[in-house]
Amino acid sequence: MKIDRVRCLPERRSGCAPPRGQITGAQGMRWLAQRETLRVSKLWTQTVLAPVISALLFILVFGLSLGDRVRNVGTVEYDQFIVPGLIAMAMVQAAFANNASTIFQARSERYINDILSSPMHPWQMTIGFVVGGVFRGLLIGGSLLAAALLLTGVPFENPAALALTTVLCLVLFAAFGTVVGIYAESWDNTTFIGNIVILPLAFVGGTFYSVALLPSPWEELSHFNPIFYMVQAMRFGLLGESDVSIWLSLGVTAALAIPAYLWAQWLFSSGHKLKA
Amino acid sequence: MYRDTESSQPALALRGLTKRYDDGTLAVENFDLEVPAGAFFGLLGPNGAGKTTVISAVCNLIRVTAGEVLVFGEPITSLQARSWIGLAEQDINLDRFLSVRETLIYHGGYFGMGREEAEQRAEQMIDAFNLRSKRDVVAPKLSGGQRRRLLLARALMHRPRLVILDEPTAGVDYELRQELWLYIRQLHAEGTTILLTTHYLEEAEELCEEIALIRDGKLLARDSADGLREHYGATNLADVYVKAMAEV
Repeated sequence: MKIDRVRCLPERRSGCAPPRGQITGAQGMRWLAQRETLRVSKLWTQTVLAPVISALLFILVFGLSLGDRVRNVGTVEYDQFIVPGLIAMAMVQAAFANNASTIFQARSERYINDILSSPMHPWQMTIGFVVGGVFRGLLIGGSLLAAALLLTGVPFENPAALALTTVLCLVLFAAFGTVVGIYAESWDNTTFIGNIVILPLAFVGGTFYSVALLPSPWEELSHFNPIFYMVQAMRFGLLGESDVSIWLSLGVTAALAIPAYLWAQWLFSSGHKLKA
Repeated sequence: MYRDTESSQPALALRGLTKRYDDGTLAVENFDLEVPAGAFFGLLGPNGAGKTTVISAVCNLIRVTAGEVLVFGEPITSLQARSWIGLAEQDINLDRFLSVRETLIYHGGYFGMGREEAEQRAEQMIDAFNLRSKRDVVAPKLSGGQRRRLLLARALMHRPRLVILDEPTAGVDYELRQELWLYIRQLHAEGTTILLTTHYLEEAEELCEEIALIRDGKLLARDSADGLREHYGATNLADVYVKAMAEV
């Protein structure tokens, strides 16, 4: 480009002075949340389609193909029995991975500075980022639920419990992903937690079986697995039954979600690992 | 010409700024600096002098160990003060998922703009920075010069009163450097306060009304280019720089 083609800046054209309105940060928070959801939408084949197909394959292979050969679990048909756990597993993994990757990438490429330097309160930044993970989890959960309704006719016994469980699980794992994304020094750190911690816990959390059928001490040990309670709460919401009380399941999930969220909030407030 | 005379306060006031990093490095200690409203102010110093630390403190990007940072009289902890600053960092740090237009709109949003205003302003900035043909292209697919222009456009998107340019022409070719100089000069002529760090002495001499020399986190001198030449008995700014750094 030639120098003589440099165009006038808009200020000169309009002759206007900068605006001096009161800044609350609310607008910024909305835009940050929107940016996070836009990222999920732009990468929908990776962020939504892939985990939905993966979970659907479990329903097809374990539920529909083997379902006839596996006896009912309690009064529930096996293909319906596995649906709540698979939905919970897909949602929490996605919420975690979403926030761990979006924060880590923003940190490593330093475009998070655009957000950290902006007129937003730290709590608004936390909400803005958490919304992205929750949005992705909801897209996956909603898609899987719709598919499972068609494929297995899974019932909808307790919508309120289902909604509350979904929100708590997604906030917990989106916040936890935010924390891991802030502490991570490499991509390996983020995938390690997802693949070595969350995925195995999800598999042994009673997704494919009732832990009541396990011999001691495995049944008792299952109760130390936090994802077990999320699977049970989800199962109660959809099927109306679970291995433990819904209140215990919701209580454990909330007891984990609150500190995870506060941890993420503290990192934004203190600047620890975000600012030198 | 519009001048930022709304505030009788200096555009930037650093008082007793101290930053010690977690590894123990003392980047700046008890650093004082005032930049008048409407000034074109240069910050010169070698690598590791503390320039980027000072800028990061002003832009809420580091945890300040001690001291006070005021922007037009408002503490930097206030949202209002942060909304008045526009920063173009030395490294290209553009959001890889956003197109040119989205980069500008979302930045405007983070800084408090509504959708309509942000969209309108983004279109203006796209034209002003000659990025129309790349409007819907994501940042990683832009050329180096286009990224640099977008970085500057982003810094100006929300109409900041104080624009901080951290080595904006580092690693760019002569033609783009001249082009960026024109943008920056024009911005200053419109009344925006500019704080510029650069390694190019001729750039500082050409653009800045006042220059501060820093080294090891300490202010060595500040004056106009003429004043510095006179003070150090030098014929050009390069000599001033060499003499000032040798004094430490």
